Amino acid sequence: MNDQPDDQAGSPELFMFLASTVHDMKNSISVLSGTLEKLLSANKAAAAASDDYPQMSHMLYQTKRLNDNLIQLLALYKEVGKPGYPFEPAPQQIGELVEQVTSQARVLLQSKGITLDLDFPHDLIWTFDEDLIIGVLVHAINNAIRYTRDRVSLTIRVDGDYLDLRVEDNGEGFPPAMLEAGAAAMDAQRSGVNFLTNSSGLGLYFSREVARMHKHRQRTGSIALANGGTLGGGCFILRLP
Amino acid sequence: MSSGFEFTPGEGGVDWSDKRYLLIDDFVGIRQLLRESLRNLGAKHIDQAASGGEATVLLAKTRYDVVLCDYNLGDGKNGQHVLEEARHRNLLLPSSVFLMVSAEKSVESVMGAAEHQPDAYIIKPITEGVLLTRLNRVWLKKQIFAEIDQAFGDKDYLRAARLCDAQASQNKLHEIDLLRMKAAMLLKAGEPEQARVVYERVLEDRDYNWARAGLAKIRMRNGEPEAARQMFQAVIADNLYYIDAYDQLANAYLLMGKMEEACDVLERAAKLSPNSVPRQRNLGTVALKLGNIPLAERAFRKCIEIGEYSVLKTVDAYFGLARVYGNKNDPKEAIRLLNSAVHQFAGNQVELRAKITEGLVYHESGDFRRARKSGDELEQMLVSEPDRPDTDTCLEMATLLFAVGVKEAPKDLLCYLARNNDDNQVLLEELQRVFDKARMSEEGEALIQASRKEAADMMNKGVLLWKTGKLNEAVEWMREARVALPNNLRILFNSAQILISHLQQNGFVRELSEEAIAVLMHVDKISPGQQRFAQLMEQLAMMAPAPAALASSVGDALEAMGDARQREEE
Repeated sequence: MNDQPDDQAGSPELFMFLASTVHDMKNSISVLSGTLEKLLSANKAAAAASDDYPQMSHMLYQTKRLNDNLIQLLALYKEVGKPGYPFEPAPQQIGELVEQVTSQARVLLQSKGITLDLDFPHDLIWTFDEDLIIGVLVHAINNAIRYTRDRVSLTIRVDGDYLDLRVEDNGEGFPPAMLEAGAAAMDAQRSGVNFLTNSSGLGLYFSREVARMHKHRQRTGSIALANGGTLGGGCFILRLP
Repeated sequence: MSSGFEFTPGEGGVDWSDKRYLLIDDFVGIRQLLRESLRNLGAKHIDQAASGGEATVLLAKTRYDVVLCDYNLGDGKNGQHVLEEARHRNLLLPSSVFLMVSAEKSVESVMGAAEHQPDAYIIKPITEGVLLTRLNRVWLKKQIFAEIDQAFGDKDYLRAARLCDAQASQNKLHEIDLLRMKAAMLLKAGEPEQARVVYERVLEDRDYNWARAGLAKIRMRNGEPEAARQMFQAVIADNLYYIDAYDQLANAYLLMGKMEEACDVLERAAKLSPNSVPRQRNLGTVALKLGNIPLAERAFRKCIEIGEYSVLKTVDAYFGLARVYGNKNDPKEAIRLLNSAVHQFAGNQVELRAKITEGLVYHESGDFRRARKSGDELEQMLVSEPDRPDTDTCLEMATLLFAVGVKEAPKDLLCYLARNNDDNQVLLEELQRVFDKARMSEEGEALIQASRKEAADMMNKGVLLWKTGKLNEAVEWMREARVALPNNLRILFNSAQILISHLQQNGFVRELSEEAIAVLMHVDKISPGQQRFAQLMEQLAMMAPAPAALASSVGDALEAMGDARQREEE
C-alpha cells in the first residue's frame, strides 16, 4: 500500500502548464481539421476538379496524424508516467463502435477516393474501453489510407472467445521493417521500446498497450501485423477477449 | 457497404432538430465548429456561453435539452462546477443531456461521485458521428432509466429496484448499469442481503470495481470493518485510481478506531484527486483530531480554495481552519475567519456552530475568560433557538460547555440526545463518558435513565392508543411526541406506521398521507438505508390514488426540508 504514485513526475506547475498547453493544441487541431473537413465536403463536386483539392486532402491527412499522435501521447504519458489513464471497459454495441470510427475517417476517405468496406455484426455487444478502441481503429484506418491503392476494409467478427477486428487494404503491404516492429511489439522477450525507432512505432506501441489493458478470464488482448489478407495488402489485427 | 455516412435527423429514433442546445467553451473557434456540427443535425435553437458564469446565467433562464460543456473554461468556474451547480439548483430537466468535453480522458471521469457525473464524456476533437452516436445512446438510456429515476426521486427504492430488473431483462446493452442501480437501490432500502446477491452475480461476469466495493460496503454495514478493509485494499491494489475505495477504506479504519491509518488513506486519495471538497474536509477533520496541524491546515485551505467556485463549498473548512489557528495560538486570525464564515454562509445554524468553534479556539489557546464568555453566549443562543444541531455537534458543544464551567445547558443537551436515541447503546455510553469527564457520573446516569424512560413512556402511550383502536387519538399523541422528540427513530417510524394504519382503515386522506411522507423523509435524512423506511414508503405508494400524488408530496416534503432533489451517491 505504500508504493502509491505520490511522487508526481515533475512539479505541479509544470504539470498544469503542460495540461493547459495540450488543451490549447487540441483546440487548434479541432478547428483546423473541422475547417478542412468542411471545405472538402462542401465543394465536393466543384473542388474535386481544382488543383488544390489533393493538397487540402493531404493537409487533412497530416492533421489527423497529428491528432492521433497527440491522443496516443496523452494516453501513454498517463500510462507510463502518472497519474494513469482511467481505463474503463463497458459493454458496447459493435454497430455504434463502427458508426463512430467511420464517421471520423469519412471525409478523408472520400477526398482521397478510397472505398471503405465494412463487415460487422451490428447488434453484437462486447465489453471494452470505447475511447481507446476507437483511437486504435481510427489510427489503423489512417495508416491504411497511407498504404492502400483505393480500398480499405474494416471487418469485425467473433472468433472463439475473442473479438477479432481487422483493418486491411489493397496496397503493397507493410514493409519488412514494419512487420518486424509488429512482431517485436507483442514479444514479451524484447524490451518494450526498441520498435519505437520506426516512424509508426508510436501508433503500434499505443495499440499494443491498449490491447494488453483488455483482460478477461486470464485472456489478454493482442495486436498483429500481416501481409496478404482478403484485399492482398497490409492487415492490422486487434483481438480482444 | 461504402463509406457514405450521412446524417439524417431522426436517426436512432430521436429528432435532434427541435431540441434546445447550450454550447459552453471559452474558445470561440470551437463554439463555431460545434454550432456547425449541431446545425448539420438540424438544430435551430443554439445558445452559447464563453465562461462558466455566463453558462450558469443561461441555464437558470432556459431549460436546455442538450448541454455541451468544455471541462476547461479558463479562469473561474470549470465544467465540473457548472455541472454540479446545475444539478444542485435543479437547472436541468430529468431528460436533459449533459455532455462533458475535454482534451483528454480525465481521471476524475471514473472516480468522481455518481451524482456529479455528466451523462457522457467526449474527447476532443469532436466529430459529428461520435457526437450523434453518444447523444442517441444517452437519450435511449434516459428513456430506460426514466421510470426508475422517478421512483428513486420519490424514495420508493423497492419499486425502483423492481423496475431495474424489468428493464435489465430487455436491455442487454445497459444490463450492467441497471444491475448496478438495482444494488444501490436495495442498499438504500435496507436490503443488503439482496444487494449482495446482485453484486455477486455481476462479479461472475467480470471484476467490476464498483461491485467489489459494493460487497465491501455491505460487510462494513454488517459490522465487519476488518473484512471490509481487506476488500477495499484489494480493489485499490488492482486499480489505483478507483478513488471511492480510498474514501471507504478510510471509513473502515475510522470504524476500527484507527485514525492514523484513516488519515494516511485520505491523504493519498487527496493527492490522486485533490479537487474534492468533501474529501479535503474529511482529511482536515481527521488530521485535526490527530493533532497534525500542518496537514489539517493544508487540507482546510485547499478545501476553501476549491470551494470558491463550487456549490459544494462548506462552512466546515472555515471552522476547521479556525481551530488550526487556535492550535497555533493565533485566536485573532481564528475569530476573523469565523466572522467571514458567518458572513458567507447562511442557515444550518452557522452562527451557533461559529460560537462553538470560538469557544473551542479560546479554550485551546488558554484564554479561559473569553472561553467562558463564549459558553455563556452559547447558553443564551440555545434558549432562543429551539432546534438542535446534529448529534456530533451537540456532543462537542456539551463537552465544551462543561469544560468552560457552564452547568445546566450541557445537561439539557445530553438529555436531549438520550431522549432522541434511547435505544442507541453506543451513543448512550458516549453520553455517560461526557458526564464522567465533567465529574458528574452518578447524576449523569440518573439523567440518562430518566430521559430514556420519558421517551419510552411517550412511545408506549401512542402504541397503546393505536392497539386499542383509538386511531385519531394515537395520531394526535404521536404528533406531540414528535415535537418533544424530533429525532427519535422509533417514535418517527411508529408515527408513520400509525398514520398509515389510519389511511388503511378509514380511507385515503391526502393531508395524512403527506404528513406520513414528511415524517419518513425526515427519517431518511437523519438515518438513511433503513429497511422499515423502504417498506413504509412502498405501502404509502401503493395506497396513493395516483403515482403523481406521491411524487408531488415527496417533492413538497423535500423542499420543506431544504433538500434539493438530486441523484445521490450510492
